[in-house]
Amino acid sequence: MRFELLRDLELVRRGWRWGQVRPEWPEPAAAIPELPSLEWARAEPVRSLRWLVQQGLWLPFTRLMTRPEVEGDEWLRDQDRAMILVSNHVSHADTHVLLAALPDRVRERTVVGAAADYWYRRPWLGRLVSFWLNTFPFARSGGAQGVLHSSSRLLRSGWHLLIYPEGTRSPDGRLQEFKPGVGHLAGETRAPVVPIHVQGTHRVMPKGRRIPLPAPVRVRIGRPLHLEPGEASRSFTRRVERAVGELGGGSRAPEVVGSWIERWRATAPARRRPRPGGGRGPAGGA
Amino acid sequence: MGRPGAVIEVDRNTPPTLFHFGEGVRLERLPLGTRVVYPPDPLPPIAHPERAIRRALAHPLDDDPLKSLLRPGMRLTIAFDDLSLPLPPMVQPDVRQLVLEEVIELAAAAGVEDVHLIVANSLHRRMTAEEIRHVVGDRVFTTFYPDRLYNHDAEDTEGNVFLGTTAMGEEVTLNRRAAESDLLIYVNLTLVPMDGGHKSLATGLGSYRSIRAHHTVHTLRNSRSYMHPPDSALHHACTRQGQLIEDAVRCFHIETAVNNHCFPALVNFMQKRETDWTAADQAAYLTVKQLTDLAPPAVKRAVFHSMRAPYGLTAVHAGQVDAVHERTLAAVERQMLVEVEGQTDIVTFGVPYLGPYNVNASMNPVLVVCMGLGYLFNLYRGRPVVRPGGVVILFHPCRYEFDSVQHPSYIDFYDEVLADTTDPAEIEARYERCFAEDAWYRQLYRRSHAYHGVHPFYAWYWAAHAMEYVGDVIVVGGERETVRHLGFKCASTLADALEMAEQTVGRHPSITHLRFPPLMLADVR
Repeated sequence: MRFELLRDLELVRRGWRWGQVRPEWPEPAAAIPELPSLEWARAEPVRSLRWLVQQGLWLPFTRLMTRPEVEGDEWLRDQDRAMILVSNHVSHADTHVLLAALPDRVRERTVVGAAADYWYRRPWLGRLVSFWLNTFPFARSGGAQGVLHSSSRLLRSGWHLLIYPEGTRSPDGRLQEFKPGVGHLAGETRAPVVPIHVQGTHRVMPKGRRIPLPAPVRVRIGRPLHLEPGEASRSFTRRVERAVGELGGGSRAPEVVGSWIERWRATAPARRRPRPGGGRGPAGGA
Repeated sequence: MGRPGAVIEVDRNTPPTLFHFGEGVRLERLPLGTRVVYPPDPLPPIAHPERAIRRALAHPLDDDPLKSLLRPGMRLTIAFDDLSLPLPPMVQPDVRQLVLEEVIELAAAAGVEDVHLIVANSLHRRMTAEEIRHVVGDRVFTTFYPDRLYNHDAEDTEGNVFLGTTAMGEEVTLNRRAAESDLLIYVNLTLVPMDGGHKSLATGLGSYRSIRAHHTVHTLRNSRSYMHPPDSALHHACTRQGQLIEDAVRCFHIETAVNNHCFPALVNFMQKRETDWTAADQAAYLTVKQLTDLAPPAVKRAVFHSMRAPYGLTAVHAGQVDAVHERTLAAVERQMLVEVEGQTDIVTFGVPYLGPYNVNASMNPVLVVCMGLGYLFNLYRGRPVVRPGGVVILFHPCRYEFDSVQHPSYIDFYDEVLADTTDPAEIEARYERCFAEDAWYRQLYRRSHAYHGVHPFYAWYWAAHAMEYVGDVIVVGGERETVRHLGFKCASTLADALEMAEQTVGRHPSITHLRFPPLMLADVR
């Protein structure tokens, strides 16, 4: 019976993996259970415990697995205000990689927006992830005023906020449309928004995989953006989205009417790649 | 320099021999006197691949330097091999990525605006975006996908053109974009001698109309073997088609060859000869064996299919197809060839988890036959390792297990066609056209990620030569019902299989075990 069950599950799992673009159904309103207070996750002694776990366990592991190449972290060093860190999202590994890429002082004061309807559906999972990564529940529908209010409260109390405005992991690594919450939040708190692009984590842990694999990762941090006077929050969201896209070298589907040659030259690598076979051994005949 | 291939004879001191067993492995004690054929060690890779590629493009064989063929305003199409090569998929950067980047660099420098990249997937399934990205690399992918980097569609009536008929009556079609280009560049990866050459364009960018000309039971039975192009009727037909394509379009071929370093460090014991196993290798084997025995097939598949091979580039040549392919074949044979003295009554080998048509999917029973009696059996030059009327003993769990997304027509082929007959010629005559022109399979091939409706027939035809040639086929460890449905015999153990084989070849038979993968080409004298 056990094997029959596994086989049925496998058939179901495989039967719906059609691999083609699916229609984007409107997301149902996030069903967030009554949340326990998560203040404990940002208070002592949990902060010190988390620091120990980070330093002793997952930071070295993340660095070993991903060898992150970080560009632009100088934009974070000079900031004395609470910031909204905004990144593209392709993998569950993103949060670990991004936190590993942040300067120590910023990381210690960063809370991560985690999908309320995914991570906080089960209370034990919510508590675990809150301890592990200092997360707080963030509604994906973009309209949950209560959650936006709690986010702005965190920002006002000096915590940096890391969020993924795409709402979910990108299925193919391309940047998806940003939800407007980031603009509302910036408008409400006037906090600077730091665009970040992470590349390569889809190889570490693509959507659907549970075990991470080693792969190099690049994190590019951009200049902080501020909401201009009179700028609508939705247009500010578009501006943030463009900034993240530009950091990724245009990971949205390229407009072919333009010149591919310019894009090609713009993405020229700064350094040489590793060679197939590691380039070991004597030179062979070509 | 690695050791050449070798044939050893099993004696009392010989360690047990590794057999691949689908998504698993097992050790077997072979009878004393059995010959075990080992592939050569991996050749050292080229130290500076990018430099070698640039040199090949600047000094092509029997052709002008690529740079001189590129000019602003031209239509340039670059086609490249799909995910059926190499096996397993290689670690990034794939050699095709390296070649594509150099070619595109030249095109950018020459100001060629109209550039398209086409996956030459023939009647294979369309590659997913992530699979394409893995092959071409992030930079090429983000620059061209999806508008200028896409899969070939052999069923798009508007997207393919009829070029003509060869002197032997083979029809030739080609992808329209490729046919209407000023220059068509083909980037190939030759893993085994049947790959590359004229076959790349003739099949890669062809349609059912052109491929059916040579993917026939008659042609494949007269390709002895199709792993040795000079003796292959299949390749002769492809050459005629390729020459017609070359007459219609200006082509430039770039071919690469890799060594046989096909397993990552974690399972390096699979790469090594058993006599070279260290304690760590033995421990790794035991771990893998226990885990694969316990783990459900889906878990094993997920783990095995996530393996990436650390292949190293051993040759790259560019220019006119015949000159290029001759050099490429020489490089491939340098890596694969093993001399074997005389034929044998019984040949044994394990069928691994992966063949060209089940990347990221299970190997269904039809593909087990295609892989075992098709590709692996045909890895010979001159004569097969087994004598006419001899016995082939395969190791594979051979489960009734199909990937409904990738192999929908395989399911019906197995359930309906093989239930009726297993004779390739009869199958071809009675069923092929019906599956090939089925509207639903055509739709799945074009819009989903399914192999073409005719594909299971071709998979079966690949084995037609072996089925006609050998006296018996025994599958060790296979699912009894499934193996019988395929028309073969089933045994629980190697000892049982050998006893059964004696009924066909007589008492005290000679036995040869082919220890692949890594793949090798037996040069039987």
